[in-house]
Amino acid sequence: MSIPGAEDSIDPSTFEQILEMDEDEVEREFSKSIVYDFFTQAEGTFTKMDTNLDKKDLKTLSELGHFLKGSSATLGLTKVKDSCEKIQHYGQLKDETGTKDIKEEEALKKLETIIKQTKDEFHEVEKVLKEFYNDDE
Amino acid sequence: MEGVVAASLDAILPKPPVSTLVDLPQPKRPDSICDASSAEFDIFRFTPVPTLILDASRRIVQVSDSFVMTSPGGRREDLVGWHADDVLDRTDRTSAFPVLASAREAIRIVEETGSLTQLDHSTDSQQVWRTRTVPIYRNDSLHCTQLEFHDVTEEHRKRLELEERLRNVETFRILVETVKDYAIFMLDPNGNIATWNAGAQAFKGYTKSEIIGQHFSRFYGEDDLATDKPGRELRTALRDGRCEDEGWRYRKDGSRFWANVVITPVFREGVLLGFSKVTRDMTDRRKAEQQLIGAYEEASKLKSEFLANMSHEIRTPMHGLLSALTLLLDTKLDFDQLDLARVIQESGEVLLQVINDILDYSKLANGSFSISHDIINIADIVHSVHRAQQKLFSPQVKFESHLDPQIPKAGEGDSLRYRQIVQNLVSNAAKFTEEGSVQINARLESEDEENSIIRTAVVDTGIGVPEASAKALFTPFTQFDNSATKRYKGTGLGLSICRSLSELMGGEIGFHPNPEGHGSVFWFTIKLKKCKQFQTIKTPRIELDGLRVPSPADVDHMEEIKRVAVNKHLLLAEDNFINRKVMLRMLAGLGFPNIDVATDGKEAVAKTIQSADDRHASVPYDLILMDVNMPVQDGVSATQELRDRGFYMPVIAMTANALKGQAEAYIAKGMSGYIAKPVDRKLLIKILLSCFKDQSND
Repeated sequence: MSIPGAEDSIDPSTFEQILEMDEDEVEREFSKSIVYDFFTQAEGTFTKMDTNLDKKDLKTLSELGHFLKGSSATLGLTKVKDSCEKIQHYGQLKDETGTKDIKEEEALKKLETIIKQTKDEFHEVEKVLKEFYNDDE
Repeated sequence: MEGVVAASLDAILPKPPVSTLVDLPQPKRPDSICDASSAEFDIFRFTPVPTLILDASRRIVQVSDSFVMTSPGGRREDLVGWHADDVLDRTDRTSAFPVLASAREAIRIVEETGSLTQLDHSTDSQQVWRTRTVPIYRNDSLHCTQLEFHDVTEEHRKRLELEERLRNVETFRILVETVKDYAIFMLDPNGNIATWNAGAQAFKGYTKSEIIGQHFSRFYGEDDLATDKPGRELRTALRDGRCEDEGWRYRKDGSRFWANVVITPVFREGVLLGFSKVTRDMTDRRKAEQQLIGAYEEASKLKSEFLANMSHEIRTPMHGLLSALTLLLDTKLDFDQLDLARVIQESGEVLLQVINDILDYSKLANGSFSISHDIINIADIVHSVHRAQQKLFSPQVKFESHLDPQIPKAGEGDSLRYRQIVQNLVSNAAKFTEEGSVQINARLESEDEENSIIRTAVVDTGIGVPEASAKALFTPFTQFDNSATKRYKGTGLGLSICRSLSELMGGEIGFHPNPEGHGSVFWFTIKLKKCKQFQTIKTPRIELDGLRVPSPADVDHMEEIKRVAVNKHLLLAEDNFINRKVMLRMLAGLGFPNIDVATDGKEAVAKTIQSADDRHASVPYDLILMDVNMPVQDGVSATQELRDRGFYMPVIAMTANALKGQAEAYIAKGMSGYIAKPVDRKLLIKILLSCFKDQSND
């Protein structure tokens, strides 16, 4: 089951796996709670990322990237997950694939960009998901 | 008394002074004093003992022929009738026959005491005469005095000898009885104690009265008694004439001392009287010896520690130096500078190797070297060495590795140390081989239920080892060809380290010439413990970086897992609550009724221990799903801690770090399997089923 308009940002089979955990296909209580929990977690993480970007704490940024990567992967939020992985790499002073070393200055610059991009990607998928759960807030 | 003994009494005989001459014609019968019968007269006349009879006024009234005879040339008429004083006082006579002087002394004593007197008199020529003086009374007044002269030289000599002997015996007795540093005593022929000295009492604790008559075996310990050592010692003493032994002996109070014992049989005229037994307390000497050994070992340990510390201290700046040199080599150097810098680099690397060798050697020497027990894969290590060492070989040398497919994929061993040996042997082979080939051949030599023995050989076609040097190859600081050291660098420690390492890993090391012709074969074995506890999960059809591989057979597994899940107790360790929630839901959906949760590695360890306590079982959880990256304690180290604590349930790693080769890394660190995030349900089912299947097979 794929979500219309979000094929490239949400992995169908992974998300489907979550949906299959719902007991009621109309209420979708479980998956909805997971998705909304994720929204909260993501916002919280972004706040922390901003703070640590100011502090130039690369190690914490890398850990935060890894943290959010885990849950976004679980939900199949491919784009967010990929960007989080980049945050993780840049925080470790590596390039986006995690293979080559980069300088701290470059890393901070890239982090600023990628965090912003991750937020955008998140808000985009958030919108799709909210629509999916018929939430018009 | 001085003077030379007269050969006869002639000289002493007085010239008869007319005034005192008594008329006593011979052989006229004696008159008044000696008016005895002829028989009585004859007694005195013919007694073999030289005899004089004096009357109360000391006049010589009778003299035996024997007296006259002992004075050859002496005449009876020169004596009889003369006053004793006249005869005995004559210094010219007494000096020639000193006995006469003591005769005078004897007469004086007899007159004073009135009783029989004996006086012994020894001459300068070791002759001893006894003057026996008998006063004879009639009616309470002295009638006459009888003087007998006995030659007691022989008797006296015998007595002196006897006294001397007695004195010697006494001296020895006192010596033996009073000596306190030795227990010296006699045993009768049956081994019962017959004598006891102060030394024996002092260090065996028994008094003489307690121990006499007891069998000497009571000084021996139980072990010695079990083998009848006391009896054997007596038999040895009889056979060899002596038996010496060192060992523990027991005191009366049960305490023991280290003793040196000598048993000697004692015979008299061919008959066994018994045994002498001399025991020395060697406790102090033994203690001193042991202190000496202890001191030596301590010194040796200190030396090794010092070496280890020094090597360690040298290594740190050495690393700095070499790193700086690497940077220097990257800068713009002219040809000469580059050449010099390379010389420094090469020497530095050799020096570093020397230091590392010494460090290893000193650790091995003082026993502080430990072997780790990781899960290792021999094939991987050999491949890795092959890759890394390739650069050592010139194009003229073919470098190959051959692996026996029977070698287990995983076993408990020390990968670092195994690798170190292989590397060392390969780099030796590279040093000494200029053309031909070098091969690493690893094969499974044997196996039993517990262990596999892996034999690894490095075969080269190099210069080989002279037969004479082959024995010393594995001795420290040995290089078989000292003349070659300029060409072939090294400490001579490498092979000795390899030997210690292979022995530490339960194997051995050896050398033989290459049977193919010239060159060497260095081989070693290691014992690889089979790891049954957590069987490696076979994931042949799972691609680790592309995890969604739907398989038609998957559908059927759903029912199977639900059957298996019913009585299983799982622990899920995951820090991200969203993942936790999803995993819990997924696992519940698979039918697991009972899932505990931990949010970091430390909690996972704690919960495992706690649940083991609660359930009184060695497998508290049937399986643990472990996130790799967690705060406080990560999943890998938590798993290792669990293994160290003796928990062998399957632990499945979960991570989003889906990099190639990482699964092997986790498995090597004690994990049983691996699943990438996002967790695919079908894949999870497969892994879980495989884990439980292996478990039930065990």
